Amino acid sequence: MGAAGATRAETELGKAEMNAATTGTQSPESVAAAQGRPAKTLETRSVNLYYGDFQAVENVSMTVEPNKVTALIGSSGCGKTTFLRSLNRMHELTAGASVDGEITLDGQDIYGSRVDPVQVRRLVGMVFQSPNPFPTMSVYDNVAAGLNLNAGRVKKSEKDEIVERSLRGAHLWNEVKDRLDKPGSSLSGGQQQRLCIARAIAVEPEVLLMDEPCSALDPVATLAIEDLIGELKSKFTIAIVTHNMQQASRASDITAFFNLEETGKPGRLVEIGATEKIFTSPAQQATEDYVSGRFG
Amino acid sequence: MPGGIRVEYQEELERLEASALGGLDLVSGALSRTLEAIEHQDVELAQIVVADDDRIDGRYLEVHQALITLLATQSPVATDLRLISALLHVLKNVERMGDQCVNICKMIPLTGNEPPSDREMVKLILAMGGQTKTLISQAKRAFEGRDVELAQDLVRQDDVVDNLNRECFRLALEIGDDADKREWAMTMLLGARAIERIGDNAVDIGEQVAFVVTGLFREFEDASHPA
Repeated sequence: MGAAGATRAETELGKAEMNAATTGTQSPESVAAAQGRPAKTLETRSVNLYYGDFQAVENVSMTVEPNKVTALIGSSGCGKTTFLRSLNRMHELTAGASVDGEITLDGQDIYGSRVDPVQVRRLVGMVFQSPNPFPTMSVYDNVAAGLNLNAGRVKKSEKDEIVERSLRGAHLWNEVKDRLDKPGSSLSGGQQQRLCIARAIAVEPEVLLMDEPCSALDPVATLAIEDLIGELKSKFTIAIVTHNMQQASRASDITAFFNLEETGKPGRLVEIGATEKIFTSPAQQATEDYVSGRFG
Repeated sequence: MPGGIRVEYQEELERLEASALGGLDLVSGALSRTLEAIEHQDVELAQIVVADDDRIDGRYLEVHQALITLLATQSPVATDLRLISALLHVLKNVERMGDQCVNICKMIPLTGNEPPSDREMVKLILAMGGQTKTLISQAKRAFEGRDVELAQDLVRQDDVVDNLNRECFRLALEIGDDADKREWAMTMLLGARAIERIGDNAVDIGEQVAFVVTGLFREFEDASHPA
């Protein structure tokens, strides 16, 4: 066990990828051309995650495939959220947390010593469990927040276009176009979550991570988000943590089942495969028991 | 595995499996009476078989509806999902087997009230029927025991039925020269054909056993592309 990235060879991610990300937002034309764009592959090899001395996740090697939705399922405490947070270097923000193993984005180590974690998070965006728009910021400024942070000055007209495109992409534009100046907190829960998704996609990330994005929403808002996820995968690589098995079966292409042998042991990846396979004929008995609801 | 989770759902699923497979016992009973009606040209017994088919249809409707309810309310997946899918197939096969008995029994009055005119033909049909009853009970045991080997053996057992059916055909051709027996023989040939179909339904149930166990569906024998 060592500090995050301490033993890794340096990669060029910090240069090529990050420079591209910071040279300014893309023009509407280039984004239009990105309809159905190929996204990037996230890959983990022998990843172990720790909180201080406690090992939360053990030896996870898996691929989050491009332009697909990968669902991470498993009972509480199995490490799936911890694992998700390691995929954009948010795990290390917790005091005492550390990572070993390798996590790459299209082959480039995101924990390389010259890689700026902030830029990793720009390429690998996160949508959280509870909608968390900036409450006092307007709807417009919420969406533009990431642009301001990431790209320096952006022309007003360009920003208008990105905000509209992002809100349209999040299926929210028609509901908020006449109240872009109202505070984000004035929206309903489902709208707030879509606002957060709009904020995440405004900076055109490669990967979207979602941590139980619907657990605070009603069924109609949940289905709206699931539909949205289905559309977003044409542009992004998506990984979603969910406790809702029906959601995993409805919304994902690939399902990864995490489990722990017993309380206090680290979580492990038990099985990963096509969602259809996991929910009709899983290979492992533990997976069968979990998806059938025979395990708590 | 900790007990106590989804117990009622599991019990309901077990109950429905037993009820669907119990349909095979009803079919076996109907086939026994059908054979007896053929052997003795018993028109009344044939009419009872026709009327009694409502019980098999009722079983079909009752269990089918309950399985749909489980699908709607319990979101079964994995083995449970495969089991429910297979049981829906089993039910359909049970219902078809019952209808084949009805088809035979509806023909019996058409051949009059005289005793059967050719013992050899009757003997062949009774042998077919007996063998088909073996298939039905074997299909049930294979399903209950999730026994793929026993299920696959149904193909071999069914070959016996098919061979007897061909014998019936050959005999009917011979009898065809006799104008008095011709109509009866043709009717019996249709009956033999119906029994042969019941055997096929039993093999179909065997294929569902393999699906429940392995998650892969394939026909044991491809009738349109025989090996």
